[in-house]
Amino acid sequence: MNFGPFNLGLVQRALREILGITLVFAGVLATISGLLAYALPRIQARFMQRQFIPPGVKQFRDAILGLDSTGAGVSEVAFAIAWSHPIVLALLSAHAIMVCTRVLAGEVERGTVDVLLALPVSRLRLLASETLAWLITAGVVLAAVYAGSYVGAQFIKPEFRPDWAKLFMVLCNLSLVYAVIGCAALLVAHYTDRRVRAVLAVIVITIFSLLINFLHTLDPALEFTKQLAFLSFLDYYKPIGMLLSGEWPWKDMGILAGACVVLWTGTAVILSRRDITTT
Amino acid sequence: MSNVAIDIQQLTRSYGPRRGVSDVNLKVERGALFGFLGPNGAGKTTTIRVLLGFLRPTSGKATALDLDCWRQSHTLKHDVGAIPGDLRLWPWLSGRSALKLFGRIRGKDMLRQGQSLAEELELDLSVKVRAMSRGMRQKLGLILALAHEPKLLILDEPTTALDPLMQDRLREILRRRSNLGDTVFFSSHTLGEVQALCERVAIVKRGVIVADTTVSELAAAAGHDIDIRWSAATPLPESTSLDPIVTWKSRESLAWTGRLREGELPQLLAFVAQHRSAMADLKIARPDLETLFMRFYEDDSNGEAPR
Repeated sequence: MNFGPFNLGLVQRALREILGITLVFAGVLATISGLLAYALPRIQARFMQRQFIPPGVKQFRDAILGLDSTGAGVSEVAFAIAWSHPIVLALLSAHAIMVCTRVLAGEVERGTVDVLLALPVSRLRLLASETLAWLITAGVVLAAVYAGSYVGAQFIKPEFRPDWAKLFMVLCNLSLVYAVIGCAALLVAHYTDRRVRAVLAVIVITIFSLLINFLHTLDPALEFTKQLAFLSFLDYYKPIGMLLSGEWPWKDMGILAGACVVLWTGTAVILSRRDITTT
Repeated sequence: MSNVAIDIQQLTRSYGPRRGVSDVNLKVERGALFGFLGPNGAGKTTTIRVLLGFLRPTSGKATALDLDCWRQSHTLKHDVGAIPGDLRLWPWLSGRSALKLFGRIRGKDMLRQGQSLAEELELDLSVKVRAMSRGMRQKLGLILALAHEPKLLILDEPTTALDPLMQDRLREILRRRSNLGDTVFFSSHTLGEVQALCERVAIVKRGVIVADTTVSELAAAAGHDIDIRWSAATPLPESTSLDPIVTWKSRESLAWTGRLREGELPQLLAFVAQHRSAMADLKIARPDLETLFMRFYEDDSNGEAPR
């Protein structure tokens, strides 16, 4: 049954396959996010009480945050670190990669693509339905990060709690980072027939992106990373900036959204033109 | 609406340097039970994948039910039921949930018809795919291909893993569908099962159609197998008038076997009349279809149909 550009049966099929693993990811992410929200403000408060942060530590912290954090309070720094923590980013990336490489590479690899494509659904509608199912699960894991932070923050001093509206901005920006990773995974998984290849390719892209961003922030004078920094999706995600200023990073979000559109359209073009065979 | 269910014109599909099919021409009439025969790797599955819109023709054209198999593939598939050669289904499905899910995707209730087919094929619809034997999965695949009552069935070696009784049931179901006007395109590498079901057959070999005819015409075109036993007591003819019309398989002193060209029976009979006193035994017979089919598989250099 079709509903706009989606086939509800295909959405249901996709959700049946990914909802279980999504709930596991959501649970883990909520727990980690909660623990970070609980622990990081305390640690940050202790640092601030000393009124001295060794320059190396600050530089390293800023590299993780992607921005100079001078003048930021306990809450801003703590929650910016929590929301750009490598474990959180790695888990979100893993979820996006796992879900988005199922179709087409995963289906080809397990041989079910013949049955899938024998159904009276256009390839574009198949992609749209898979994307919708992915976005529903994306909502679950991203909401889990926010909910984890909210619950964790209930156990800290009220003055250390973040401005929830500002944190929502961070969530929106993070959602677009997550979407770029997912769209990149979709593109690669529709280009190759081997899921492992697709997963590895996206992991390499993601690690490259994280590394470039980290090195660029750690040492802005480094010529090599300066030139490549624009390729890193983390260059467009700076939670500390949003938590400090409370302004929507429209430009960064626009670039990430644009990247999603380009990657998704590329996927649609590849899927509509390519031959599909299991042998 | 034309009377042709499948129309393939000069279809070539290659995989880079690897051969797929080359210059295939095929017409299947609506309501026909059409057998598509060939050894493994001959090009049957490639042709089917083009028909189902999985592969784009390198050149040529394929249409089914008057729709282009590549450009209008998804519209076409509303009226197509297909089963792939190597069927794989999602392991978390049960028979019943598969019928519901496929019905939801197709926008059609498949459960009632599916249950009736499951009874006929003796399949328990409550079992999950992961717990099914290969034969049960094949039955479920067939039910999913048939339950939406398609006008065209494209079946790639559908009897794989079915026991003889179920093969027979399947043939009954397909005959019934054909009587209702549905077309069956049945791929196999075994002539016996095609012969038991189909009226018309095409044989594909190394990517080329080498025969496209009815089963009876195929047999008729094959000539006769002959087996002559000579009596030891009488001298044998040294050279015979049969040489130009018989391809000898063996010509030992007292036993000659070979293949007589179609239409040359009178000349053989004249030879028999001339030498009957020297003959101990004589056999002239049409080859059985399995033997005939094996001839198409033989590795002839030009790839043409055997004579």
